[in-house]
Amino acid sequence: MTSTAGERQAIQGCPVIHQDFAPPQAAGCHWAMADELREASPVFFNTFAQGYWVFTRHEAVRDIYKTPELFSSESITPWQPDPIYRFVPTQIDAPDHIKYRRIVNPWFSPRAIEAAEPRMRELCRRLVEDVAPQGECDVVVEFALRFPTEAFLSVIGIDPSDADLFVPWVEDFFRGFGGDSDGLEAMAKALDGIREYWVAAIAERREDAVPREGDLASHLLHARFDDRPLTDAELLDMLTVLVLAGLDTTRATLGYLFRHLATHPEHRRRLVAEPELIPAVVEEALRYYTIVFGDGRKVTRDAEFHGVQLKRGDMVYALVSGANRDPRAYERADEFVLDRRRNQHMGFANGPHRCLGAHLARRELQLAVQEWLRVIPDFSIDGSAELSERGGGAMMTLTSLPLRWEVAS
Amino acid sequence: VRLTVDGASCMGHGRCYAMAPDLLSYDDEGYVTIRDGSIDVPAGQVEAAQDAAGTCPEQAITLTG
Repeated sequence: MTSTAGERQAIQGCPVIHQDFAPPQAAGCHWAMADELREASPVFFNTFAQGYWVFTRHEAVRDIYKTPELFSSESITPWQPDPIYRFVPTQIDAPDHIKYRRIVNPWFSPRAIEAAEPRMRELCRRLVEDVAPQGECDVVVEFALRFPTEAFLSVIGIDPSDADLFVPWVEDFFRGFGGDSDGLEAMAKALDGIREYWVAAIAERREDAVPREGDLASHLLHARFDDRPLTDAELLDMLTVLVLAGLDTTRATLGYLFRHLATHPEHRRRLVAEPELIPAVVEEALRYYTIVFGDGRKVTRDAEFHGVQLKRGDMVYALVSGANRDPRAYERADEFVLDRRRNQHMGFANGPHRCLGAHLARRELQLAVQEWLRVIPDFSIDGSAELSERGGGAMMTLTSLPLRWEVAS
Repeated sequence: VRLTVDGASCMGHGRCYAMAPDLLSYDDEGYVTIRDGSIDVPAGQVEAAQDAAGTCPEQAITLTG
């Protein structure tokens, strides 16, 4: 007879919680919760949904990422062990995963991003110069999603002005994680919109004899997986995943980074004086303001792991936001250290599923801070309303960040 | 000092060649070019090599000697 995970945790003496991590909270509450869990115990059993293990500290989170043969990406949402959908390549395991990654890796490599930088900087500069004379804006709504969307489209060979379509789709899709029925309907429509866009883009490129230069969709149509072309379902899935994984995440990190700079004038002034620190600040934001609350994995076989007996089919939640602030792994872990050196953060995950867009995201974040501070070196949060953040069901993000600044006359 | 990269651990984060641009470089996919190899670190590059090793999120870099 097999016991349920819930019965086994009682035997193992692991502390039990019952916590839904998805609802929105006041800004910063998810990190406070992660800190509290991490310091209370290295592992919990959460009886929410079907029940799953929560690993809170750096070492275990790293080991989960580095042991993909034990921790499958078949489900990455711990409260949904059997998702009806498998994103390619996000939810694909070895040996197929690396074959998909090798097709797309060169498009998001440092060399590709280096080549795209002048275009991205131009897009960023134009957006900042548009907003600067207003003296105020909601940076999360007006800038932080628009810029990564335009930059991403330019990198994959799509006209950046199609951001007019993608920005509302991405907004509606992620707002749907709030869970109400209106939101869910808008979410489904947004996903349809994105998929239809790519269906049309694929159809338009299908008859090309050779791949179009600098055009990812065209390149995918000519790519080989082993000795066959990609299926239409794979093509559509890969392109859709890039949109869902790459735009909102950068917006989220930018939101927290801009909030930090708005509320830490000493950090802002130092960056204006020493812009060469901006890459280190971006890494520290990825560590300190990790937008992925936790990463789910599904256990492939019975195994003992960090003191608990896991059973095949159990779900685990690697609390990466807590791990990135673990004092066992970082000096001054609870401080935003502007010039932190040797920052080994896992903000882009570890192991084979390391974020495909990491090099692009870093460059976008660096460009956004450089170009913003160049034009708007002083700014503060407008008003005293408490900021709120979307819950840990998707990625955390500020839902709004109103900023104001003096306009030079 | 000799710097060795464990090819099975390297996932192409790109932190090492960002920290030590005069010592390490990247390939077409974003992996460090010496992904499964090692190099001698010139005297002037030892601190950069230590930064690279200490920054790798996968702990794929070891320094010896």
